[in-house]
Amino acid sequence: MNEVRRLAAAYVGLLALLALTVASAFVDLGGFNSAANLAIAAAKAALIAVLFMQLPRQGVLPRLVVVAVALWLAILFALTLAG
Amino acid sequence: MSGAVESEAFRDAERERQADAFGMWIFIGSEAMLFGAVMLVYLTARMAHPEGFGEASSRLSLLLGTVNTAVLITSSLAMALADLLVKLGRRRAAAWALAATALLGLAFLAVKGVEYADEVREGLAPVLGLPFAFEGADPRGAQLFFELYFASTGLHAAHLIGGLAAIATVLATWRRSTDAACLRRTRAVGLYWHFVDIVWVFLFPLLYLVHR
Repeated sequence: MNEVRRLAAAYVGLLALLALTVASAFVDLGGFNSAANLAIAAAKAALIAVLFMQLPRQGVLPRLVVVAVALWLAILFALTLAG
Repeated sequence: MSGAVESEAFRDAERERQADAFGMWIFIGSEAMLFGAVMLVYLTARMAHPEGFGEASSRLSLLLGTVNTAVLITSSLAMALADLLVKLGRRRAAAWALAATALLGLAFLAVKGVEYADEVREGLAPVLGLPFAFEGADPRGAQLFFELYFASTGLHAAHLIGGLAAIATVLATWRRSTDAACLRRTRAVGLYWHFVDIVWVFLFPLLYLVHR
């Protein structure tokens, strides 16, 4: 049951990242706490997208949507935060 | 026959599956733009009030927030198992996995309700005309934090309730549907459910872990 093992690995990874992000809140990283938290959140989102939503197996169109959304969000954030 | 199409608009089942997935991903993409904009508003407000946001965030229950994150991650696992089981033709077990997903979603909402009740009791809910009082260096920033906290978690909870309604609909028609239809519906509702999980994955550190 390769599939079950894949899902179990995703689940354990997500819980480990949750523990890591909560633990990091009790350590002063000198201004990098928020950046570390967001990096961990991005890693969790990637685990969910790849192993639960099976993004890589869905062909080119869903990947195109993800890239387009990332591009538009990047423009939205960059222009707002630069202004 | 697994190659049958449900809509005559499609030449074959593979085309129909691709169109299904593409439609769901576009919908999820538009939802991502919505939540992205909400998070951007939150970030700009937080940059203007770093101290108020830090003080206000430490009033949230980190324990309940962490428990709820684990509950939602577990619900996503149950949803992924439902998808796998229906693909293997084990429809009965898949229906139970969907029911487990929904129950975990309900548990998330129950914990969220307990948190909201605590915050209302402590006078930290500047919504629906409820009294708000905050002792600290930046009460205005703290109020802004709680307004955005209720707006973003409320919007997320509304999406979760939508997901529960979708699961209930899928389960209500489960026995009458073909294997292929069950698979398509489980896939579609699963993509949505996992997306709502991803939104929470970002909301959790933004709201609960500002700075302690």
